[in-house]
Amino acid sequence: MTYETLVVERRGAVGWLIFDRPASANAMDATMLGELAEAWRELDADPEVRVIVNTGNGRAFQTGVDVVQMSRDRGAMREQSRRTRDATLELTAWHNRVWKPVICAVNGVCAGGGLHFVTDADIVIAASDATFLDPHVSVGQVSAYEVVGLAAKMPVEAVLRMALVGRHERITAQRAYELGMISQIVDPPDTLRDEAQALAEKIAQNSPAAMAATKRALWGALELGLTDACKQGAAELVSMWGHPDQTEGPLAFTDRRTPDWTPITGAGPASSGEGRP
Amino acid sequence: MTFSSYDFVKVERHGPVGWLINNRPDQLNAMNNGMRDEFERAWKELDADTDVRVIVHTGEGRAFQTGVDVAEIASDGVGMERYRESMENFDLRFTSWHNRVWKPVITAVNGLCAGGAFHWVADADIVLAASDAQFFDPHVSVGQVVSIEAIGLMRKMPVEAVMRMALVGRHERMSAQRAYELGMVSQVVDPPERLRDEAQALAEKIAQNSPAAMAATKRALWGALELGLTDACKQGAAELVSMWGHPDQTEGPLAFTEKRAANWAEMTGTGHEDDAADTDTDT
Repeated sequence: MTYETLVVERRGAVGWLIFDRPASANAMDATMLGELAEAWRELDADPEVRVIVNTGNGRAFQTGVDVVQMSRDRGAMREQSRRTRDATLELTAWHNRVWKPVICAVNGVCAGGGLHFVTDADIVIAASDATFLDPHVSVGQVSAYEVVGLAAKMPVEAVLRMALVGRHERITAQRAYELGMISQIVDPPDTLRDEAQALAEKIAQNSPAAMAATKRALWGALELGLTDACKQGAAELVSMWGHPDQTEGPLAFTDRRTPDWTPITGAGPASSGEGRP
Repeated sequence: MTFSSYDFVKVERHGPVGWLINNRPDQLNAMNNGMRDEFERAWKELDADTDVRVIVHTGEGRAFQTGVDVAEIASDGVGMERYRESMENFDLRFTSWHNRVWKPVITAVNGLCAGGAFHWVADADIVLAASDAQFFDPHVSVGQVVSIEAIGLMRKMPVEAVMRMALVGRHERMSAQRAYELGMVSQVVDPPERLRDEAQALAEKIAQNSPAAMAATKRALWGALELGLTDACKQGAAELVSMWGHPDQTEGPLAFTEKRAANWAEMTGTGHEDDAADTDTDT
């Protein structure tokens, strides 16, 4: 399917979801907000796609909701306002319950609502010149979803500082790496996509079913206390016992060949797909 | 007190420090059935010994630990099924947290730390690593799910790093230096041969503190991982108040004033059964 505000493409086993409004710093207008859910679902449903990379075209990675459109045409954003209020957002992989591994490759500035995609990715890498900021409070908006999610994943002081200092300060890629917000800095910046593809190809060699169950266990753990999270994780673990990949994995390792994993689609075990409220 | 005999681990005491040493170096300390059972026995024995104030856990050979013994799993016809009941009931017994050990536990990672080895990194109070230690989690590369140990780690360090290790599998390793930067370990020991000396030295520092106060502190902090912030503080407050009137609270300031070592009240691992209920582990 074709998109107006996104580029969706495949390179081998890797699906790419690329923000494509470079003239607007990839800000999300109403069209992009609608297309994001479509794109995640398309990539999730394609069994050829084992891993998904999310990045942006142009100088910015993503700068949140398009305030220009919001100020000119409030009606266009009505659907999004409703989803925000009802906590039924469909912007990110996590919102759309994508259980394939998702790599966020931050190619430039990541501001405000752009942080949704950092928070909700499994793995985050960034170009050495990428920066992070959350200007919500500088324009009279509350910052909630993105920073609540980040606070569950990294040192909290850094998140509170970013949320409260607003547009008056930026986190560098280097500091994001030190804080464990990202796991890799790519330098020079123009090799970001090559590095993301290489990382995704490594991950694509692992069992899709095992990775999906691992994702459900780990994301689900953020919902619960430690012991309850472990109990839920144990259920995900046991759910794979008897799966063909568990015989194929050790066999391929012994035979020194690439494993022939059972493909999965995004449909997944629906009963387990309760990692988010 | 002398310890009972073990085939797959070593249990020793050096001064106030109990040592639990993985001892299947030829199998990179992978956990077979026998070793799994010995872990439970060793933790309980060290916990019950009043001369042991702090416990250090490390491995013989070039690996700290490398998870479940896959050779045994692949060859004995039982496979992972052996773990079904304990996993379905979440009734595991191979780490100090599983066994409700409230003495301080230091994990000293002496080399390879792979897959299931993260159980002992996640469940220790303090983690040291030799400078040549390497961390990776190959579960998904062999068709296995990783959950319990990664879930524990996620509570204690930046989550993205844990997710990356879980999903990249055997295709990437984390260095001791990066583990230190991320706060997964608090000390990198170089040269690596100094690891046990440094662990003993750290354990001896900790052994100077009040055993009862440390146990209540551990219960408060590990219990906090079960709860939302305000509930965790309330439970922590209860642990705090539980020590008021304890002889160590008089002895501590007195010893400090008199510039002498404190003579703490003796404590075994069996104490405070009612408080231990807040870990909420199945029994």
